[in-house]
Amino acid sequence: MDSLIEIFHIDIKLLIAQAVNFTIVFLVLYFLVFKPLSKIMADRSEKISKSLDDAKKIEEKLVLIEDEHKQSLIDARKEVELILTKANNQAEESRQVMLAKTREEIGQIINVEKAKMQTEKAQTLKEIKNEIADLIMITVEKVLEKKINSKEDKELIKKIIRDSKK
Amino acid sequence: MTSAEQSTSETALNTEIQHEHTLYAEPIFTIGNFSVTNSLLNTLLVIFIVVAFGIFLKSKIKMIPGKLQNGIEMVIELLLDVFNSVTGSREKTLKFFPIILSFFVFILLNNWLGLLPGVGSIGQVVLEHNEKIFVPFFRSGMADLNTTLALALIGVVVSHIFGVLTIGFWKYLNKFINIKALLDIPKNIIKDPSILIINPIKVFVGLLEIIGELAKVASLTFRLFGNIFAGEVLVASMTAILAFGLPVPFMFLEILVGLIQAFIFAMLILTYLTMMTSAEEH
Repeated sequence: MDSLIEIFHIDIKLLIAQAVNFTIVFLVLYFLVFKPLSKIMADRSEKISKSLDDAKKIEEKLVLIEDEHKQSLIDARKEVELILTKANNQAEESRQVMLAKTREEIGQIINVEKAKMQTEKAQTLKEIKNEIADLIMITVEKVLEKKINSKEDKELIKKIIRDSKK
Repeated sequence: MTSAEQSTSETALNTEIQHEHTLYAEPIFTIGNFSVTNSLLNTLLVIFIVVAFGIFLKSKIKMIPGKLQNGIEMVIELLLDVFNSVTGSREKTLKFFPIILSFFVFILLNNWLGLLPGVGSIGQVVLEHNEKIFVPFFRSGMADLNTTLALALIGVVVSHIFGVLTIGFWKYLNKFINIKALLDIPKNIIKDPSILIINPIKVFVGLLEIIGELAKVASLTFRLFGNIFAGEVLVASMTAILAFGLPVPFMFLEILVGLIQAFIFAMLILTYLTMMTSAEEH
């Protein structure tokens, strides 16, 4: 053992010095390299896995939203169709109603006109009759002026005219 | 090695300068009664590099890594995978990783710094026993038994500390001085008489383990020292034969050896740590 120490110059002070040197290297590597690096590496992997999870969630949400979007589009279309048919129906209905009303009105107007015409016709006929009677009387008077002058004749004529008027 | 004109031109007189490759690191100067050797200087240089790099890297560490951080993270991940195959669990690997990484970096830098031009070739000439001896200012840190012994002791002692902390003192003690096996003999002798033969063997194996621990230290120390010292001698010899071109392939070889030895040392410490922190299973 002594010869070993002699040959290799083993010196406890140097031994301790080298041990201290190694310890310094260890501490430096541990605190300046290993600790911060491993921390940041762990943080990063955590962050990456979290982002991947988030991305997955976002994708799922996107699909959900797309579905919703499609659904709402379909709904809207359906609603539009419904409204359109409703409007059409309403329009048709109101048209029918208007038509019926118009028809009725027209009928009423026609009736009124008819009645008016009837009365007018009757009036005209009456007037014509009066006029004709007057004419006939005048004519007959003129024709018979000379011949018939008597009171009975006059009465007779008047009676004839009255009959004819009826 | 090559000449040392820088410091020795005026002392190159009658006797020839001895370029001797000593087995030990030579002292350059002394502080009090503490002699600073050339390998210690080299180690201080390693510390300086590591500290400078550490401070630089610390300021560069960001959530979104740059090229440097990316590279280092890649190396760390690679090493973690390799260590996982030894420890068997990520949790254990992360616990041991800082110390193993330190061994690896410390030894690797020391080995590679020993290959730089100027290390081993720039020095001073001292007069010793009427002989002029060339003493280089720098010497690879691992070509000094003090360094490797210190590292091996740290590694083995740390593995024992981790062992006590992980499996408890009683189990740890029974690995070496198997009191439990002795106590089991009267308990189980009626049920299983063969225990009378087996358990004394277990006790003896435990005692062998103590020698095993000493052997661990010795093997770690001399393997690293031997490899790096041999490399230095090899490159020096090749340089002595022909200084131009011939040492180049051997330099490449030494770069590889330096890496491999650092890796082997680190992996062996890791293995010891793993062994010590797992309970006895026979």
